[in-house]
Amino acid sequence: MPISTVELDGGITRVILDGRLDIEGAAAIDMRMNVIAGTKKAVIVDMEGVSFVGSMGLRALVAPATRHQGPWRKNCDFGPNELVEKVLKSSGVDSMIPIHYELQAAIAALL
Amino acid sequence: MTGNGGYTTGESMNLKSRISELAQIPPWIEGLASQFSIPESTQFAMNLCLEEVLSNIVLHGYAGKPDCPIHIQFTRSREGYFVFVVEDEAPPFNTADSPALPPINPLDDSHIGGQGIRLLRQFADVLEYQATPNGNRLSVGFSPAHSSIAKG
Repeated sequence: MPISTVELDGGITRVILDGRLDIEGAAAIDMRMNVIAGTKKAVIVDMEGVSFVGSMGLRALVAPATRHQGPWRKNCDFGPNELVEKVLKSSGVDSMIPIHYELQAAIAALL
Repeated sequence: MTGNGGYTTGESMNLKSRISELAQIPPWIEGLASQFSIPESTQFAMNLCLEEVLSNIVLHGYAGKPDCPIHIQFTRSREGYFVFVVEDEAPPFNTADSPALPPINPLDDSHIGGQGIRLLRQFADVLEYQATPNGNRLSVGFSPAHSSIAKG
């Protein structure tokens, strides 16, 4: 699964995921997500391009965030499609990593 | 649901117990969707549920042993449900009755993993388990009117 990052104003890092966050997709991003979570203070995970997410994909999203959590670190998800959003909500991931539907709202939440 | 009256479609797949084999599932489902007019939301649920079932078999049922058999048969029930019947030769494990972990709780990160069974129950319309002489048979069914994705 391709993963790229864009540095935004305010020290926010936008992590852009594209494709299927299935078992293999999760393995492909795992190390990079952990590095990002460990080095960046505020992260927006852009899920606009994510077409699928399974339980291993959820782990790839949540584990880095919790491993490096603290009052100085913030994370949120942005732009999941309806089906992906259902998975995030069914599993309770949205209780740990809030979901936003507009990029500006996601940025504002992290500032 | 999967008792007498359903019919096989002739669509089946044999996999080996390797995670890499799961990559065959999405294009297979896409082909089935085209053939049987399965809506996108149901395809998503099918992909999700099969990934959870099959990864559980590979990682836990067969404990990571490669080259063990997994058979998947696609059928239509008498009521019109789309049903995947997954058979393996792993030790008995009743996925349908196994307790699901609670949703991820921000105050307790010990359940980051283990959401597979929970998602399976949320996204499949029917789960039926049978022990077989050699292993397990799990039927995962999806209503033809599967428009509301996650239940409750």
